[in-house]
Amino acid sequence: MAIRILLVDDHPIVRQGLKTLLAGHPGWEVIGEASDGMEAVDKADSLRPDVMVLDVTMPRMNGLEACRLIRRKAPGMEILFVTQHDSPQMMREALEAGARGYVVKSNAARDLLEAVEAVSQHRVFTALNRRDSVSSC
Amino acid sequence: MKLRILVADDHEIVRRGLCSLLQKHEGWEICGEASDGRDAVEKAKQLKPDVVILDVGMPNLNGLDATRQLMQHDPNFKIIVLTITDSDQVIREALDSGARGFVLKSDAARDLVSAVEALQHKRMFFTPRVNDLVLAGFLDKGHAISRNEPPSLPTLTAREREITQLLAEGKSSKEVASLLNLSTKTVETHRSNIMRKLSFHSIRDLVVYAIKNNIIQIDLPPQMKNPTGSPAA
Repeated sequence: MAIRILLVDDHPIVRQGLKTLLAGHPGWEVIGEASDGMEAVDKADSLRPDVMVLDVTMPRMNGLEACRLIRRKAPGMEILFVTQHDSPQMMREALEAGARGYVVKSNAARDLLEAVEAVSQHRVFTALNRRDSVSSC
Repeated sequence: MKLRILVADDHEIVRRGLCSLLQKHEGWEICGEASDGRDAVEKAKQLKPDVVILDVGMPNLNGLDATRQLMQHDPNFKIIVLTITDSDQVIREALDSGARGFVLKSDAARDLVSAVEALQHKRMFFTPRVNDLVLAGFLDKGHAISRNEPPSLPTLTAREREITQLLAEGKSSKEVASLLNLSTKTVETHRSNIMRKLSFHSIRDLVVYAIKNNIIQIDLPPQMKNPTGSPAA
């Protein structure tokens, strides 16, 4: 299935790593990149991706705030957090903000493809450092 | 002959980004990857790369102590440290440890290739802030300490710093002993010496010391960060 993805992280080197990983999946396309929450909101509006891969901690506007705004503007777009915060509390905040998925950055190489696949089909994917849960709804 | 580079970062996604960036450069190859400082030291000794790139905030052994160990093993190692902060203290420690390059992780996509090129041609590479500090006489430690700095805590040995990091990461003496191939009794002796030297009475004091002295780094949630602060990768 073709999936159009927007990558949001303030570190270009992390975006590069994510892009390399996603490039291995046929049919998936990274259609844009953003380096903070405000840029993410703008690009979500103009590019209308199927899935946004979003960092939590970023300058100007963090990922949680961006997620809330984007969910209000484009409820059909799915948001997957990829963050260094390996914390159930942060995961809960992310899901409450409207995200469909949550992956810890240290495990992104292991979990990212499966997570993108799941959220693109509107299923929930959450995985803390230990594989805690993968569920669908 | 190709320039051989060893890349060490605990996040695979960051290593992928770094490798992808470096491999685009003709004549360079990634000869190995490591996911913590201990792994990096072992692989560097074994693979003898032309350039080693070390993240500062790695588990088990941080990048600065890994640099110290490698420079002690062979002062010809060419090491670039990658950091999330260019605080005075991290800069000073990086310079003292023997690193020849200092790159901010947030600027790695822009600066890393230049840094490797500089080391390849036997030059050093530092961020503008490091250059400013060096120009300002930052390395004139005698003056800097007497003018600006509070009396420092006693210096820990390399082994004590290693053990401090592992204890501050939450490992037990038994786990530390197993990781370092020491007896639990030897680790307990080091632990007592560390606590005595630093006049600490609890592991909490040790964790705070390890954070303040960049022996370990912690990730703060966004609510606790300065909005313009530099986040971890």
